[in-house]
Amino acid sequence: MKKVVVHPERCVGCMQCMVACATAHSRSGNLFSAICEVPLPKPRVHVGVGLYGEGFPNRCRHCDPAPCMLACLPGAIYRNAEFETVMIDSDKCINCASCAMACPFGVIRYHEDMHAPPKQVVAVKCDNCIDRQAKGLVPACVEACKSSALTFETTSDALKRKTNEVARSVSIETGKIVVAPGFNLLNAAKKAQINLKAM
Amino acid sequence: MKYVIIGNGIAGIQAAESIRQIDSRGGITIIGDETFTPYCRPMISLVLEGAIPTEKLAIRGADFYEKLNIEPVLGKRVTHIDVDARQVIIDDTPKGGKKNHFSYDKLLIATGADARPIKAEGLSLGNIFYMRGQAHVCDMLESLSGGKKALVLGGGLVGFKAAYGLMKRGFEVTMLIKSGYPLSMQIDEAGGKLVLKELVRHGLKVMVGAEVKAFEGNGRVREAYLSDGSVLQCDIVIIGKGVLPSLSFVPRDQVRVDLGIVVDQHLETSSSGIFAAGDVAEYVDIARKTPWVNAIWPEAVNQGRLAGMNMAGRKVAYKGSLSRNVIRIFDVDVMTCGVVEPPDDPGYQVISKIDPHKNFYRKLVFRNDVLVGLVMVNDIDQGGLLVSLIQSETPIKISGETMLKPNFNYKQLLKF
Repeated sequence: MKKVVVHPERCVGCMQCMVACATAHSRSGNLFSAICEVPLPKPRVHVGVGLYGEGFPNRCRHCDPAPCMLACLPGAIYRNAEFETVMIDSDKCINCASCAMACPFGVIRYHEDMHAPPKQVVAVKCDNCIDRQAKGLVPACVEACKSSALTFETTSDALKRKTNEVARSVSIETGKIVVAPGFNLLNAAKKAQINLKAM
Repeated sequence: MKYVIIGNGIAGIQAAESIRQIDSRGGITIIGDETFTPYCRPMISLVLEGAIPTEKLAIRGADFYEKLNIEPVLGKRVTHIDVDARQVIIDDTPKGGKKNHFSYDKLLIATGADARPIKAEGLSLGNIFYMRGQAHVCDMLESLSGGKKALVLGGGLVGFKAAYGLMKRGFEVTMLIKSGYPLSMQIDEAGGKLVLKELVRHGLKVMVGAEVKAFEGNGRVREAYLSDGSVLQCDIVIIGKGVLPSLSFVPRDQVRVDLGIVVDQHLETSSSGIFAAGDVAEYVDIARKTPWVNAIWPEAVNQGRLAGMNMAGRKVAYKGSLSRNVIRIFDVDVMTCGVVEPPDDPGYQVISKIDPHKNFYRKLVFRNDVLVGLVMVNDIDQGGLLVSLIQSETPIKISGETMLKPNFNYKQLLKF
C-alpha cells in the first residue's frame, strides 16, 4: 500500500500542493475554472509557517485508531479499508467541531464543499485523493510537489531509505575528509554509458 | 467468559465492541433502561433546535445487538449487584417467569448520569422537562406548538444548548443562572462574557442569582415564581442543573464510591472483576491532578473502549480524563479544556489575548512549562493541537505568545 510521505526538511513553502489539492477537489478539476466555482474549492493540505518562516505541508495522517473518528458525534467519520484512509461523510456531519478538538495535528477545516449538501458548513480534510488513486493517478499534492517534500511510496520503502540515510550519516567513511579529490573529466551519465559498453 | 454491561450508552456500546474485537465467543449481556437504538446523546439538542430529525440520532444500526451477538435486556434498571455471587439483579419481583438475575465473570458499570433534580413546588405540571435523553426531547417536541415563552434553569452546557435550541425555534427565552455568565464551569469570565454578549445580541434574556420557588398553571406550566419575588410567564421550562452519576444500586461497602465509582488505571473498581466507565466513573484528571468525574462524551468513548479491552484480558492503561468542550453558538465558536481558572499559586502562569472587535479570545494556562488549560473563542481549528499538548503533558519550549496567535500551527512545535 503506497502512502503519501512528508519530508519536512525538503519543503520550500511554495504552497503548490495546496493549489493542486483544491483543484483536484473542484467540480471542473481545472484551476482556471475552479477559481470561479461556488463554493470555492479549498485545499485539504495546509502549508503552515514555522518559527523561522519555513514551510511544512500539514496533512491528515489517517491515524489508526483515529482520535477524530472516536470523537465524532454523529458517526460521520469512517475508515476506507481499501485505501487505509479516514473519510468524512458530509451528509452525516453536523459541524460540531468535536473533531477539531480531537485532532492532534490540526488538519481539519470547516467550510462549504462541493460534496456536502448546498449551503452547509461541514468538516473537510484530506481523503488521500482516493478518486485519483482509483484511476491509477498519484495524489494531487504529490504530483504538484517540486521539491520532493511529498512522496508517494510504501511505508517499508520509505523506512528503508531513511534507515540507509541514517546509517550513512554515522559511518566513518562519510566523515573522512578527502585531501585531494582531483577531478573527473566525465560526468556521471558518461561514466555510466562507458560502463554499459564495457559490459 | 460471561460479560455483563450495565448501560447502553456510548461507554457500554464501545466496551461491547472492543470486547468483541478480542473475544468473539464470550457471552455479552447489555442491560439498559433506554430502548432506542444506540444514539448520540449530545446531539439531542440539535433535535430540539430542529437542525436534524430524530432518526439521525442513531449512531449504530438497528441490528447492532444481533450483529455482535449481544443479549439485550432493555427498558430495565438494575436494582442491585450481588458481588459475592457475581450476579446482577434487575427486578426483585419477577413476572411471567422472566429472568431477573444475570451471572457475570466480568461486569461493566456504564450507567452514566441522571439529571440533577431541583426542589420547587409544582414540578409535576406539564411542559416542565429535564433534558437528558432522547425521550425527553421527543416529549418536548410535542409540546412546542403554540408556545412563545421559555424558561431555562441553569447556564451549564445543557441549559445553554436548550436555550439556544429554543431561540432557534423562535421562543423568547429567559435563562436563570447563578454566576454572572453562562458556562461558568467550562469557561472563564472574559470568555463567558463574549458568549453572553452573542446570546443577548440574539435576544436571550438572562437573570442572575434568582432561583425558582414554585411553578403554577392549569395542568401545564404558565408562571414561575422566583426567589426575588418576581413572576415570569412561561409556556415551557427546561431544567439543566447538571448531572449526578447513576449509582444508587452499587453496594458501597464492596465497591469504592466517591462522587463517582472510583476506578484504577485499567478502569477496574476496588472489587475485582467489576469495571466502570463513562459518566459514572471517577479517575484522575490529567490537568487537575486530582480524582474527578468528567462526564463528557469523548471520555465515555475512551473509557468504554479501554474498559472493554481490559475486561477481555488485554491490559491497556488509561492515562486519565480531561475536561473539554466545544460549542458553536450563532457566529461564535468556543473551545475550553482543562484548568481555565487556575488557583492563586505562583506555579501557574496565564497568558491571554483578546480582540473584542473580532470576537477573538485565547487564554492559555501553564503549570511550570506544561500547558494545563485553555479557552478559545473563535479560530478554533488548531484547538486539538493544544488539547493534545495538555493531554500528553509535553513540556512547552516555544514562547507562549506564538501559541496565542490565530495562525499557530503544528510546524511551530517541530524542531528542525
